[in-house]
Amino acid sequence: MNQLRSQFPVWGTIVDIDVASEKIHSVELNAALENVRDFCQKVDEDFSTYIESSWITRLRQNKVEINECPTQVQEVWQLCLEAKHLSDDAFDPWSVQGGFDPSGLVKGWAADICADMLVAAGAEHVQVNAAGDLALRGGWFDQSVGAIKPWKIGVVNPDNKQEVLKIFEITDGAIATSGTYERGAHITDPYTGMIAIGAKSATVVGPLGWLCDALATGLMVAGEDAAQWFGQAELAGYQVWVIDRHQSSAWSI
Amino acid sequence: MKRALLIAGGTLGGLGAVMAITPPQLGSNQALDLGSATTASTPAATIAKSAPTATQPTASATTNTTTTSKPAATKKAAPTQSAAKVTATASASASATTTTATSAPAAAPAAKGVTGVFVGPTVDVSYGNVQVQITVKDGQITDAKALQTPSGRSQRYTDRAIPVLRQQTLAAQSDAIQGASGASYTSYGWFKSLQGALAKAGL
Repeated sequence: MNQLRSQFPVWGTIVDIDVASEKIHSVELNAALENVRDFCQKVDEDFSTYIESSWITRLRQNKVEINECPTQVQEVWQLCLEAKHLSDDAFDPWSVQGGFDPSGLVKGWAADICADMLVAAGAEHVQVNAAGDLALRGGWFDQSVGAIKPWKIGVVNPDNKQEVLKIFEITDGAIATSGTYERGAHITDPYTGMIAIGAKSATVVGPLGWLCDALATGLMVAGEDAAQWFGQAELAGYQVWVIDRHQSSAWSI
Repeated sequence: MKRALLIAGGTLGGLGAVMAITPPQLGSNQALDLGSATTASTPAATIAKSAPTATQPTASATTNTTTTSKPAATKKAAPTQSAAKVTATASASASATTTTATSAPAAAPAAKGVTGVFVGPTVDVSYGNVQVQITVKDGQITDAKALQTPSGRSQRYTDRAIPVLRQQTLAAQSDAIQGASGASYTSYGWFKSLQGALAKAGL
């Protein structure tokens, strides 16, 4: 089994990739990682609200319309609409100060694409960790016993990042955690325009990275009201784990 | 065989449901004055049809626990009710069923020994109204329900069973992990600003 670990800075953070393959070797794995890094840079150029020339910045400044933007940007716009609908408007990138800001969904979306790129290149076991938004494929190859197990992903204590409070075992899927200390535009409650107070930290596990990311962001606004969303058929495969804002307890669906 | 199917239906959100009401507005925690109010209501998970709220301290951190972490019943503004009742109480007729219905919140915290039915004020959560009624026996909340629930925006959910919320205590895990998920925190200045804003709001 050929394994590689790669870490690189992008999106104002570090993306950490763990990839293993029985079929392809380091040369191909490295080439695949190179493509992933290029993709991540492109995402930064297109979506960063800190880059003056990005498509998102220009959308926010009304210099372009969405139908003038590249396919990738339009796809994210559509996913944002879908997530807004599924979260009963708690996730609303259009209500953010300064204009449309899909930051609450883009990392999860991009992590998924990175993982899929690596799988398409021949890797069987993939973990893409984009600063807390993870995409997992094919489980983890435990070298010490030569066996494949689910990836064990720990949700860390927002007050003490060294402490793990909850472990999820994921073979294929995504996990995203939102908190009150996210970078960039703080999470505001689209209903009231004030700082979101629904939770201290919200984790969503499910098949799609963009949706996990958006739902986690929306949970920060809606808190326990969000329980209602998960009766919808589209969210049947999603799990939620939330650290309560005021009590040292958590609730889950 | 039939029983197994019923249970499976329950876990998919059919039997028993929890209506969690957490007004998103900052001002609402003052309004829900049931003693030492908190913004986040923490309903205990209920699967039984008559959905009583059990509040007991718990020592375990398993995900199946249905108890809250604090014994103080006063902290709970937790309405729980089955899905069927949600649709019925969306109107004002519910207030006729409570013998001690008042719009004033309980004047004193529900200390040990207090027994009664307490109704909170109606809270406008911008997409509807929320009004909570709790039943207290000897300082323990034995039942809680929503007399009013937000409608309109959330109307489409009233005929859908709401998944059960499960409460658990936080405890450190010691198993080895291969990855960590946590919110990234890279902007100290922003965080300080957020803290200031929350302090102004009294949170």
